[in-house]
Amino acid sequence: MFAIVEGRIDVASLISGAQRPDCGAISTFVGTTRVDETGGASVEHLEYEAYRPMADRKLEEIGAEIRMRWDVREVSIVHRIGRVDPGEASVVIVVAAPRRGAAFEASRYAIERIKQVVPIWKREVWSDGYVWVGSQVGTRS
Amino acid sequence: MDGIKVLLFGAAADRAGTRETQVEAGRITLDELWPLLLEHHPGLSPMRDTLAIAVNGEYARWDTPVSPGDEVAVLPPVSGG
Repeated sequence: MFAIVEGRIDVASLISGAQRPDCGAISTFVGTTRVDETGGASVEHLEYEAYRPMADRKLEEIGAEIRMRWDVREVSIVHRIGRVDPGEASVVIVVAAPRRGAAFEASRYAIERIKQVVPIWKREVWSDGYVWVGSQVGTRS
Repeated sequence: MDGIKVLLFGAAADRAGTRETQVEAGRITLDELWPLLLEHHPGLSPMRDTLAIAVNGEYARWDTPVSPGDEVAVLPPVSGG
């Protein structure tokens, strides 16, 4: 399953959906929103936007790349957009494989590829303005 | 006649002051499109070297030709995850 969603990601159902008798491992990566502080100001939440449907297609391509490289039987990637509060899941990757090595490696590969090629952007909304992560463009003074 | 549709995302939308615009032109390369875009959105200028660009939903090189009816997307460095 590859999806871009608004609202909370149901991690438990993604994991249970990946359980199969021919797999000995399910590796789950959960990316959560981290809050930084500088100079008395702090991040209040993060806001994600995506270029769709290109972003959806890129998630599917990452899944196809994983299946070419490793023996995996299930791959799910769900990325959340819109407002995400501190500590909540912004991305969840679940990989089921017969052997744990492939599951670990494939889930690591998925998050690294997401950060390279999927057209999704986040901005940190601070108490005194916002800044686009990676572009350092925003309204903070 | 339709122009070339240009979508802008993230910091590029901020710099341009819009998320979508049209460039009136015939068949031109993305390199040739860029200065036409800057005519109405000069704030984009300093971002040029950081940007990726897509045509009809797929990453493209700057020497790719585009035509009226195509969808060009201006993509700042992605920051998903």
